[in-house]
Amino acid sequence: MTDAELVARTCAGEVEAFGRLVDRYYDDCTRFARRMLGNRDDAEDALQEAFVHAYRGLPRYQERDAFRGWLYRIVVNECRRLAARRWRSERHMVRDQDVLERVASREENGRELHDELQSSLERLEPMLREAFLLKYGEELDYEEMARMTGASVSALKMRVKRARDRLRPMLEREGEADGAR
Amino acid sequence: MEHDDDRELSRRVADAYPRVGPADASAKLRLMERLRRESQPRAESPQPIPFLVWRPATAALATAASLLVGTVLGWYLHDRMGRQAPASELSPSIAEVPTTREVRLVQFVLSAPKASQVTVVGDFNQWDPAATPMVRREGGAWTAAIPVAPGRHVYAFIVDGDRWVADPAAPMAPEDGFGIRNSVIVVGGTEST
Repeated sequence: MTDAELVARTCAGEVEAFGRLVDRYYDDCTRFARRMLGNRDDAEDALQEAFVHAYRGLPRYQERDAFRGWLYRIVVNECRRLAARRWRSERHMVRDQDVLERVASREENGRELHDELQSSLERLEPMLREAFLLKYGEELDYEEMARMTGASVSALKMRVKRARDRLRPMLEREGEADGAR
Repeated sequence: MEHDDDRELSRRVADAYPRVGPADASAKLRLMERLRRESQPRAESPQPIPFLVWRPATAALATAASLLVGTVLGWYLHDRMGRQAPASELSPSIAEVPTTREVRLVQFVLSAPKASQVTVVGDFNQWDPAATPMVRREGGAWTAAIPVAPGRHVYAFIVDGDRWVADPAAPMAPEDGFGIRNSVIVVGGTEST
């Protein structure tokens, strides 16, 4: 059954039809949210809210748009809100910018992604991380990314380039450190 | 043309990215339990949260509306308080009225006729969305007057509980690293960035 058919059945009152969309996309969205937010608890919070927003907003979904892209837009937005809220609260606990930059990742709160990609990603500003993940992780083209993020194609290209330039030496150092262990 | 280093980066990311395991099955169950308690989605359901993107036309209209509201309120406060803040101290949507030497009363204004709830958050209230609810005025302007200590403060509005909106008529703080721009007010002085 196509996404559009499942949307129509959900709107007709069949909530289990939405369950099939959840089964279809929740894991992919989890991958993005956990890479973006760096820990399982925040990612789950963001996804629960995103899917509820999607469910409530289904009547406004236009069939001409790919459901996955429409859903991702909501997920991206929810991750932004959660990260911004977390960033704000942390900013007011730790005012020293140097300390903030050194504390690139949080060890508490269910963080369990310890690979070198994640430790490098968490040293990127969230805006750059988001663009990089959509481009290199989700392998989207810039037009799709622009629809999802609300940013222009040129701005996104610039963010991806900046992320790439920052990540390349970080990943090289991480690789060398792993090799030396 | 893709640089060799970029190809290597792509390969490493493609290799590492999917290592995140699938979602916890209980998370999906919790979600579905929650949705079963929801009413059926209807045409008038709330729209998914829009991105906070100011398109030029929207921004211009919002700025014009905010300027108008700010000016009207500025003169209103001038009449009520017997003093209009100097232009250098007055952001178009903020009216600042002296109270004591230490703290000044600042009137925040946002024109948002379609909003059902607006609050102002900033470093002066620890970014607490519940601290300063704004009051809807005739015509769709939302206002809140709060005491603010002299100095530079960063702030934003939250519309309908989840949309962060910078003041379209105030100076902007540097981007916060996440595509979100806050506004700046300098109480008792001028902003120079």
